[in-house]
Amino acid sequence: MTTATPAQIQSDASPRVARRILVAEDSPTTHEILKLLLSQRGHQVDIATDGEQALEALRRNRYDVALLDFHLPKMDGLQVASTIRHEAVDRLVPKMIAITLDAEGLLAHPEGCHNFDHVLPKPLDIYQVAQVVEEQAEIADMEAADSTPQAAPNISVVAPRPRSPFEDLGYNFLTWPGDIEDGQLSARAMQASLGDPRFDGILIKAPISLEELGAIWRTKALYMLPIVDLTGSLGAFADIDASKLTARDTTFLDKTLSEYHDRRTHLHRDLRFSTDLGEQLVGRMFISGRALKPSYDPHSKWLVSYNVALGAALAAREAEALCERGLLRREFFDRFHVCPRCDSLRLHVREECRQCHSSHLEEEQYLHHFRCAYQGPEREFRRGDRLVCPKCRYELTHFGFDYDRPGSMVVCDACGHAASEPAVGFVCLDCGGHVDSEVAPPRDVYIYHLTEQGIGFAEHGHSLLGTATHALRFADLPLELVVALNAAAKGYNETQRPFTLISIYYRNEKEIIAQQGARAFTKVRDLFIENLRTSLTDDADLIVKGHSQDFVLIAGSDPDETKADFDLLVVSAENSLRYDIGAVFQVFGPGDFA
Amino acid sequence: MLQPIADGITYLMAQSGESLLRLFWFVAIFEFPRYTLSFLSVAAILFYPKGRQQPFLGRVTILIAGHNEEAKIERCVLALREQSRRPDEIIVVSDGSADRMPEKLRDLQDAGLITEGHSTQVRSGKSAALNLALFRATGDIVIVVDCDCTFDRHALRDILEPFADPRVGAVAGNIVVRNAHRNLITAFQAIEYLISISQGKQASDLTDQVSCISGAFGAFRRNALQGVGGYDAGGGEDLDVTLSLRKAGWKTVFAPDALCYTDVPEKLSVLIRQRFRWERDAVHLRYRKHSELLNPFSPRFRLRELLHELDFLVFNLGSAVFFPIYIVWLFATFGDLGLIILLGAQAGMLVLDAVAFALAALVTPRIDAARLLPYVPGYSFFNGFLMRFVRLGAYLEEWIFEASYRDTYVPQKVHRARR
Repeated sequence: MTTATPAQIQSDASPRVARRILVAEDSPTTHEILKLLLSQRGHQVDIATDGEQALEALRRNRYDVALLDFHLPKMDGLQVASTIRHEAVDRLVPKMIAITLDAEGLLAHPEGCHNFDHVLPKPLDIYQVAQVVEEQAEIADMEAADSTPQAAPNISVVAPRPRSPFEDLGYNFLTWPGDIEDGQLSARAMQASLGDPRFDGILIKAPISLEELGAIWRTKALYMLPIVDLTGSLGAFADIDASKLTARDTTFLDKTLSEYHDRRTHLHRDLRFSTDLGEQLVGRMFISGRALKPSYDPHSKWLVSYNVALGAALAAREAEALCERGLLRREFFDRFHVCPRCDSLRLHVREECRQCHSSHLEEEQYLHHFRCAYQGPEREFRRGDRLVCPKCRYELTHFGFDYDRPGSMVVCDACGHAASEPAVGFVCLDCGGHVDSEVAPPRDVYIYHLTEQGIGFAEHGHSLLGTATHALRFADLPLELVVALNAAAKGYNETQRPFTLISIYYRNEKEIIAQQGARAFTKVRDLFIENLRTSLTDDADLIVKGHSQDFVLIAGSDPDETKADFDLLVVSAENSLRYDIGAVFQVFGPGDFA
Repeated sequence: MLQPIADGITYLMAQSGESLLRLFWFVAIFEFPRYTLSFLSVAAILFYPKGRQQPFLGRVTILIAGHNEEAKIERCVLALREQSRRPDEIIVVSDGSADRMPEKLRDLQDAGLITEGHSTQVRSGKSAALNLALFRATGDIVIVVDCDCTFDRHALRDILEPFADPRVGAVAGNIVVRNAHRNLITAFQAIEYLISISQGKQASDLTDQVSCISGAFGAFRRNALQGVGGYDAGGGEDLDVTLSLRKAGWKTVFAPDALCYTDVPEKLSVLIRQRFRWERDAVHLRYRKHSELLNPFSPRFRLRELLHELDFLVFNLGSAVFFPIYIVWLFATFGDLGLIILLGAQAGMLVLDAVAFALAALVTPRIDAARLLPYVPGYSFFNGFLMRFVRLGAYLEEWIFEASYRDTYVPQKVHRARR
């Protein structure tokens, strides 16, 4: 089987092998920047500007990877890919990557899934492009090295195990065992770890431990996939317990998987590829649309399990840290007592002797004989069914007049100690130690909900939190801007001509979307940008719209001078808007790009 | 105005010894012999001091029975744990307490300060509560203490010492008034305790006449106490159980060094009610329950019991009954002169009391008696007149109305069953 360890997948940024790559892209800006980027990393790049050129190049040369824009003149990317696959019966086909604005549309296309090995959504993330291209090439190498050449032209891997009916429902599942096993990943799994949106979930076909499932957190992007449990043994860890589903419950399965799918596309890239467990947890909660909820679980040392594939202690620790950051909020679930020795919550609660902690207790009522003041346990008075005072030998016959029962004591059969009431103590089921109830510290277990801020973080990534405000991330920049920035930087290096980059972020974005809808916000944002554009006098100035931020590049001006002027521009541009968009801007100069 | 007094003194001075005796026969019969006995015993104590004995090595259990003693129990237990001879076991019974005493006992038990704490839901009376504690006790010696008592550091060591003698079944502790300087009433009681307990019981001890092991602080050989069935129902259980032990042949002794401090009533009304209870219980126990000790034809009749019975009969009962008779006789016989003679008798009593006080202070050097000295004249009057009438009232009440059967110190259900 084609496998690779996660370590191999997380290869460093520098490529080990030079690849031959075809870029079929009609926009000159885009293919220029792609060529620049890939050739800088040592690859050989050919350009095709329409579908026929691309097909021709693919027939003539042997490429490792082909980047095909879905919308090409003359012949679209999908046609190119399917033609090549049909022609190449036993020939090796390059890894084909689709570039498209409409990833959803491509996936919906009946041919879409089979013909491409990966989909890169536009706008392109230039770092992701390089990474995807290089990893696809590695996957191709591994497949070639495999002793049995793949007959199938697509990316499916033959599973040696019996297929589940769920695998034939037309979903694209990773399977365990099969794709993710023993810390090793199949080519498909690696594919999914690149954030390929075509995968629907992870199908668990055999009982799996939580430790083994841990692989999904250690491998980028896999954690986003819903876990479909065929075994029924995962319980709350799984997103869908398919053991109780029949093949006919497809509407439910369909609905759930597509919901996950939808939310996955809304998850910000920062979280999608995050390696931070806390951030992954936020992403997971966002995608599943469920609170992080504990349920009682006698198998866990914590007595609860959360509805994610993580140990309860780890999940709670991460969730607490996220609460500190304001991304989650707590809701009380239950209070437990903890073994101070081994941190287990599996405590056996019992009434026990105050002296020796034995639970071998008997309750004894005592009688008071009024006449002679004898007061002792009932057994001392018992003579068959009669009650006879052991002190004065009178028979007690009249309750309330001869005698009464003023109380009882609890006598320990182990040590003979007696008390008016027993103590409550715990025995730890894990370490076997004894704990007094006063000594065992309580521990509260919570349900965690995503806060507004948490949802915002899931949708907008670090920019929302301001964690990245001072470091400009090239990954966030649109390609068009990168090209222009490159030119400006070149100009600065050669002629010392300064430039200023301004990034604008909208503080009230979420509020406006929540109250007025996303369309209204887009309109306001467009109008704001338009206002800004008209007030900028110099034609050399460039305004580029980004994902969650917009950018202005002003050539030939010093950042410090620009700042004050720009403030006025923003105020006047905001003036005529219907809603207060809350534009916040940051200014960067050549010094920030050194 | 002073003329009659001067006349009276002149008259008294003129009397011969025989005619003086005729005038002061009451003092001569009911007071003088007792003081004489005290003087002799003090001499004996001073000339034959008891040597220190080996410390007691057995196991010791403390029994405490309390009703609504939430506030006092902890201090009492802590004082016991401060003893030079630590108790091996402390068993506390909350007798139907309505306050938070049961919770307090649980806390003390969890803190390891007491061994067992039991709480009855309904009140059973002190005897029954002590019986319950006695049933749980494992010590060779059980020491019964009151919740409101505190102890000298060596009290336990000293009260245990006499048990070296296997014939000793019970030892009485020495009760000292803790709030002596609170007011006149408590100061008088402090003097009374000093004379009647600290010195009086030493005298009784010399002649094997200790007839009451006080409930505030007394030690018992457990098999002796269990042998007589523990405590019986009704009030005055301390006197009751002591008489039972003596009837069973056990020696009862007094440990003068084993000091136990207690608060006495600060109000006269409370004091009078307390004394009414004590005296009527004593009458009930001596002349009803244990009357055979006075009957020479009873198989239980013993000469050694006769002495303390006579002591009580003459010096407590007799003096109370004959005092009013004496006064009436005095005035009937001598008219106005009677008052002078009575004052003369009181003057003589004062001298006797002062000497008794000095002797008591002498034999119990651990009690600071000097501060009580100014109160001695007042005490003499208080004890000679007021308390004598209180006793008389109590005896009459018990004799006529059997008031001990209505005592609220014992639950009604017990009184009803006791008849």
